[in-house]
Amino acid sequence: MERSFKKEVQALKLGAGETFRGEGILAVTKALLQSGVSYVGGYQGAPVSHLLDVLVDAEEIIGDLGVHLETCTNEASAAAMLGASINYPLRGAVTWKSIVGTNVAADALSNLASPGVLGGVLIILGEDYGEGASVIQERSYAYAMKSSMWLLDPRPDLPTIVRMVEEGFELSEASHAPVMMELRIRACHVTGEFEAKANRRADFSGNNRIAGPPRFEYGRLAHPPVIFSQERLKLAERLPAARRFIRERKLNEMIASDLRDVGIIVLGGLVNGVLRALARLELADLYGASRIPIYVLNAAYPLVPEEVRAFCAGKRAVLVVEEGSPDYVEQAVNVELRRADLQTRVLGKGALPHAGEYTSEALLQGLAAFLRETRPSGIDTEGIAARADAMLARKSPALAVVGDIPARPPNFCTGCPERPVFSAIKLMQRELGPTHISADIGCHSFATFAPFSLGNSILGYGMSLASAAAVGPAMDRRPIAVMGDGGFWHNGLVTGVASSLFNKGDGVLIIMQNGYASATGQQYLPSSAANRTGAPTGMTIEQTLRSLGVKWLRTVRSYSVAKMSRTLKQAMRSDERGLKVIIADGECQLARQRRVRVEEATKLERGERVVRVRFGVDDEICSGDHSCIRLSGCPSLTLKPNPDPLRTDPVATVIESCVGCGLCGEVAHAAVLCPSFYRAEIIRNPTRWDRTLHRARQTIIGWFGGRGAEAPA
Amino acid sequence: MSGPQPRPITILIAALGGEGGGVLTDWIVAAASQLGFPVQSTSIPGVAQRTGATTYYIELVPAPARELSGRPVLALAPGVADVDIVLASELMEAGRAVAGGFVTPDRTLMIASTARSYLVVEKMAMSDGRYDSARLIAAIRQQAQAHVLIDMAALAKTSGAMVNAVMLGTLAGCGRLPIPAAAFEAAIRADGKAVESNLAGFRAGLAAAQQGGAGSAHAVGDGRDRVEPRSPSEFEREIATMPVPARDVVRIGVRRLVAYQDAAYARLYLHRLTSIRAADEHCGAGGRLLRETARHLAVRMSYEDVIRVAQVKIDPVRRARIAAELGVSPGEPFTVTEFLKPGLEEMCSLLPPALATRILAAGTRRGLTDRLHWGMQLNSASVSGFLRLRALAALRRWRPKSYRFREEQRAIEGWLALIVEAARISAELALEVAECARLIKGYGDTLKRGTANYALIEARIIRPVLARRISLPSGVDAIASARTAALADPEGEALTRCLAELEQHSALPVAAE
Repeated sequence: MERSFKKEVQALKLGAGETFRGEGILAVTKALLQSGVSYVGGYQGAPVSHLLDVLVDAEEIIGDLGVHLETCTNEASAAAMLGASINYPLRGAVTWKSIVGTNVAADALSNLASPGVLGGVLIILGEDYGEGASVIQERSYAYAMKSSMWLLDPRPDLPTIVRMVEEGFELSEASHAPVMMELRIRACHVTGEFEAKANRRADFSGNNRIAGPPRFEYGRLAHPPVIFSQERLKLAERLPAARRFIRERKLNEMIASDLRDVGIIVLGGLVNGVLRALARLELADLYGASRIPIYVLNAAYPLVPEEVRAFCAGKRAVLVVEEGSPDYVEQAVNVELRRADLQTRVLGKGALPHAGEYTSEALLQGLAAFLRETRPSGIDTEGIAARADAMLARKSPALAVVGDIPARPPNFCTGCPERPVFSAIKLMQRELGPTHISADIGCHSFATFAPFSLGNSILGYGMSLASAAAVGPAMDRRPIAVMGDGGFWHNGLVTGVASSLFNKGDGVLIIMQNGYASATGQQYLPSSAANRTGAPTGMTIEQTLRSLGVKWLRTVRSYSVAKMSRTLKQAMRSDERGLKVIIADGECQLARQRRVRVEEATKLERGERVVRVRFGVDDEICSGDHSCIRLSGCPSLTLKPNPDPLRTDPVATVIESCVGCGLCGEVAHAAVLCPSFYRAEIIRNPTRWDRTLHRARQTIIGWFGGRGAEAPA
Repeated sequence: MSGPQPRPITILIAALGGEGGGVLTDWIVAAASQLGFPVQSTSIPGVAQRTGATTYYIELVPAPARELSGRPVLALAPGVADVDIVLASELMEAGRAVAGGFVTPDRTLMIASTARSYLVVEKMAMSDGRYDSARLIAAIRQQAQAHVLIDMAALAKTSGAMVNAVMLGTLAGCGRLPIPAAAFEAAIRADGKAVESNLAGFRAGLAAAQQGGAGSAHAVGDGRDRVEPRSPSEFEREIATMPVPARDVVRIGVRRLVAYQDAAYARLYLHRLTSIRAADEHCGAGGRLLRETARHLAVRMSYEDVIRVAQVKIDPVRRARIAAELGVSPGEPFTVTEFLKPGLEEMCSLLPPALATRILAAGTRRGLTDRLHWGMQLNSASVSGFLRLRALAALRRWRPKSYRFREEQRAIEGWLALIVEAARISAELALEVAECARLIKGYGDTLKRGTANYALIEARIIRPVLARRISLPSGVDAIASARTAALADPEGEALTRCLAELEQHSALPVAAE
């Protein structure tokens, strides 16, 4: 894995009264163990990858507790695993990136929510919304509403997050419904501390198995006729039970204050931002006391009508603060007020933006608008709003002086094995013309950025081949689908390959076989050299494809640009109909470097022979046209001022971070660029033979080279 | 709401994925909590960790927790005009923080590295697409309450550390935090990874920041072209008679061409410049025209061919430079593999014109010109590799008899003639024409593309202007914008568009004649 949590894992052992310090997502992991879970699992994805990575590194600790860990092949299998809690008093937790993961899991979730659960079920959603997000911007909230699952959205503060995990299981058991807890990106990575409790052994687990045979209970199936009674159960029993629990346990907070005629209803995850905005307007203090009453919804769904009414009663207006659309909470509050015939005015979207993250800027603007609109008695509304305006007015002059800063999107790492494949695609397209490229989720989606700008659609993880199914028949040239090994195992195998073969599709599929789910931190895959325990997985993509009946299959070393573009041309030109698969084989360079660096360091210490490879550019020969960069975009291939006083364009140069993957040479060769690239190999701890050879060469070259033709200035 | 309370110190760290911003943040948090200050950090790494822009945000209450009356509620995101310290590992990321409104004259201390890590869009430009660093620095100076600008990349290199350690040092050195340097060092030690190099980087950053960023050592040069190049004395007399602004360029040109070919060739260079010199005086360019033409002429006369490549590759100076760049210790063996792939045209360019034209004609008929290449990888540090390159370099004596040589000289004469003709009309026009030479550079496709673009601009703009079919002012602008367009995209779309627009505008005067 990209990051080792061996150190952090120790925090999971903390006992009662000890202080846990660390990231939010690690706190969740500790809270799961304090809650006596029987099983955990999930599928990696920012911002919750760490949760799984930590569990993997903590396997022996959770093993002692008898907790079963499953690193699932996708979110659907993770959600389905929760089925264990339908019939048995087993507490289980799974995690994934939302919205996308929840979409993948949706079918299992519906079929879990309908019969309901006996053991507590908690789903930790990494709400990938706003700055730093990598997926379509939608709310997970809708899933809670449509399936009658409950949604917790805790204050981004470790004690509250931990409490919500623990109470979440109880809420689930008290109402027999699955509970989701959403954590936004910054909340997953927020650091803090909380007082730990001792880890709890589950009542039933690998250590203490359930006695007796499983009971047969038709009511626990998601199958007619019971689905109809289950629908009624959801509304008649589970929903009221959940509301009762939320009210009795005070999951939501009321921040009382001196101003009475207005208030703010805010989702727990956004409350720190609101309090800071208020503090900047001198309406709140360092400790979260506020002059405007605030109703904090740590339980985002369901709303508790009694609480909403009690809060709004006697207020002229309230502001609802919820990120993204639709404005579910605002709507629900309006409905409650109608039912209670309360005339409190509800502001929300409009004062605040309909779309996009609620940054400090958005919140300041929203609060100013709210105050101007509602003019609460007892404060200098205009003065306060004006102060907010003044703060925000600082931005435009700054923008004016610095100008429009171009974006810096993520890029393939130095030496990435996927970059050369896109160089090859570019070269192929030069000859055959542009082709439809259906892209996928994974590091390879960076090819949609400069310098490659390749990719016409992204339909989801492992969906590239399926999303090209109807493109091929409508075009002269075969479409190319690009898929990572992550996407392949996530669902590309069935959704894409099987479907294409079954329908006699005709297209090209490139599978990036780098050995890990790399974008999310190099977690292991079915086709990884080894699984998390170090044992070989025994699964390979090539075997799998052959057994499915793929006839046209080539495996090409991904760094061989010339060969790759040749193979691509064959695949594009071949008269043979049917799916043509090219496996681009090259280990993730991040993972490789982590291993190789250590090996080389130890070798060097032991005085063993090590050859260090690095590429370079002759700046006198480089023409400053940069076509090499347009075909690679390697972070280690960059620019420097032209040392030639007669030329002004900057020349290409290779910086120290070069790992010697050889792409620049390959590209210069395959694309017939300038001859300015060279590969240098330094021999550390040379053998006697190395030295002799070197000296001999030096001497002989010296005879001629001493007065060899001089170079131009 | 209770009475007066300390205001949290807000710190925004702007870095690139892979620079260790997470570790840096952990060091700061560890040091602060060691001293009992309430502190909270968060970040948005995601996939941005793959060399993209990424930020980390820290809030620190400058009073020990035990002295506070409760648990502070800290924010997870920076606020416009609410950041006390911005710490940026790279100049454009510093600029990005300014653009976000996080650097304001009322409170922000900006600690930024002056080093640039270029964006792909900057690097891939066909000429010079680099963002103006001066503008970024000016913006920081104008927007920040105080600023410390240091080349942190250079410091990291010299101290053998990662840039994040240097950044920590600069933060400690700025003296805005209630945390002594010792506490940060302790955090590095407690972390236990690469302690020595991290401490070295930390101290380098600390010292530099304490001197208020005096340590702005810029990228170390490679020691070439620092001394004013001398040219053989036989030329000095003539050069001395030239207008002052042109002398240094001409001197470099002469030296370059002697090395490239021989003294006779350098003499030809000077001879060619005499007509330009006259033109310069005639149009009153004050030596500018001579200087610019001399610059481009020297480059054009020393056009890139296999021979020159070989010359460069066997240059002992070059070998020494590579050794230095790689940090090769004396006597340590190293090899240098060269990637050469001359095509049919490069090969023919060395043959006598008569033969070359026939072969090329045949090649084009069979469509071989673009497909026929001889790929070779040779080790210039091996005897055989060196000798082969040396043999190629030795062809220098033969060069003047070669096909390419004749073609180049013809093209050069044509270009010079245009400049002289343009100078009769205006200095600006002549300068624009001269500047067009920069389009013609490189090898293979690059060279073809450049030459074709030059031809286009000559035929569709320069000639019409000389023939007065396009008015002078719009003509001068047109040449400049066409040149920019020619360097906008390799597919030549921008140039096509530019020329089309131009013809629409100039349509009227043409009709008027």
